[in-house]
Amino acid sequence: MSEAIKLGEIDEDRLDRSRRIGWLDVGKIVKSRCLVVGAGALGNEVVKSLVLSGFKEIVVVDMDRIVRSNLNRCVFFREEDAESRLQKASVVAARAAELSPTARVTPVVSSIQDIDLSSSPRPDVVFGCLDNIAARLHLNAHSYHLGIPYIDGGTNGFAGRVHVVLPPEGPCLQCGMNRSHFRIMEKRHSCTGIEASFYEPKVPAEITTTSVIAAIQVREALKVLSGKSEDCIRHVAHYDGLRNRFEILETSIDPGCPMHSRMEPHDSQR
Amino acid sequence: MPLRVKVRNAESGATVDMELEGENTIEDIIEGAAGYWEKDAGAYVLRRGKRLLRGQQTVAEAGVLNSDDLELIPDPEGGG
Ligand SMILES: [Zn+2]
Repeated sequence: MSEAIKLGEIDEDRLDRSRRIGWLDVGKIVKSRCLVVGAGALGNEVVKSLVLSGFKEIVVVDMDRIVRSNLNRCVFFREEDAESRLQKASVVAARAAELSPTARVTPVVSSIQDIDLSSSPRPDVVFGCLDNIAARLHLNAHSYHLGIPYIDGGTNGFAGRVHVVLPPEGPCLQCGMNRSHFRIMEKRHSCTGIEASFYEPKVPAEITTTSVIAAIQVREALKVLSGKSEDCIRHVAHYDGLRNRFEILETSIDPGCPMHSRMEPHDSQR
Repeated sequence: MPLRVKVRNAESGATVDMELEGENTIEDIIEGAAGYWEKDAGAYVLRRGKRLLRGQQTVAEAGVLNSDDLELIPDPEGGG
């Protein structure tokens, strides 16, 4: 006798509706490891989408504490967290686990410069949810060197950007930068000579653009892990929520970029 | 022979004509346009069609042609 189906059983599987997306490799997603660097606006939204998408192994890194001005865009933060100046990474990890109790979200209260990406377990995807160029370049370099896909987000008010870096092919984040990026970096360093965080401009930020950019970051990771890298953004998406513009723009390998020093100088594309 | 290109400000829609020599770099255009519009200190990129132009390239290397339309786009740095 064939096995009888149980009515309502499919609604007991929290990922049932995800599994109905034919190309989505849910089996791979639940086994993949993610490193989320930055537990602020983008970090909150990225972790939220990761746990709801079925990811079970997430490490979230941030050294900062919650302040009240974070509360206009950070879904996991509460008034009392700001009053108690709790660590961002710890709060994100704890609240994300409430969304998906089987997810293991590990907080790391540390500067990204102190994180060793080559130590095990190695992440399958790295998310840049940062607020400065120096930290982005550090993460880009280490991810590229280790061959780990790096998905970087950035926002400013109603504008945003998602950059997808898929080593060993194609340009990296640094390839798309120019003197204006390095001037901003120098301006920050020149304030203390040591730490990039002293001069920290208060960049306009709100939740709708943060949500859009973080959602795109996670969606690109879903494609990468489902074997759909060829459908990923190539290489950067610029979003302007005020003027309703969303454009995919290509970059090219910079022969002077240290990430590609062993390559012949050419405009190679992935 | 100098080139004349039109640079659009992605944030305001305003345009400015710019006269260039082949040895000018893309970074020169970015700085010239950002300065002209008195933009806030920040990171910017320059697009030509569907491509972002590499800052260090000269106008000639980047294949910028006379009468090209270029666009100056802010590169958002925030996210924390
Ligand atoms: Zn590069």
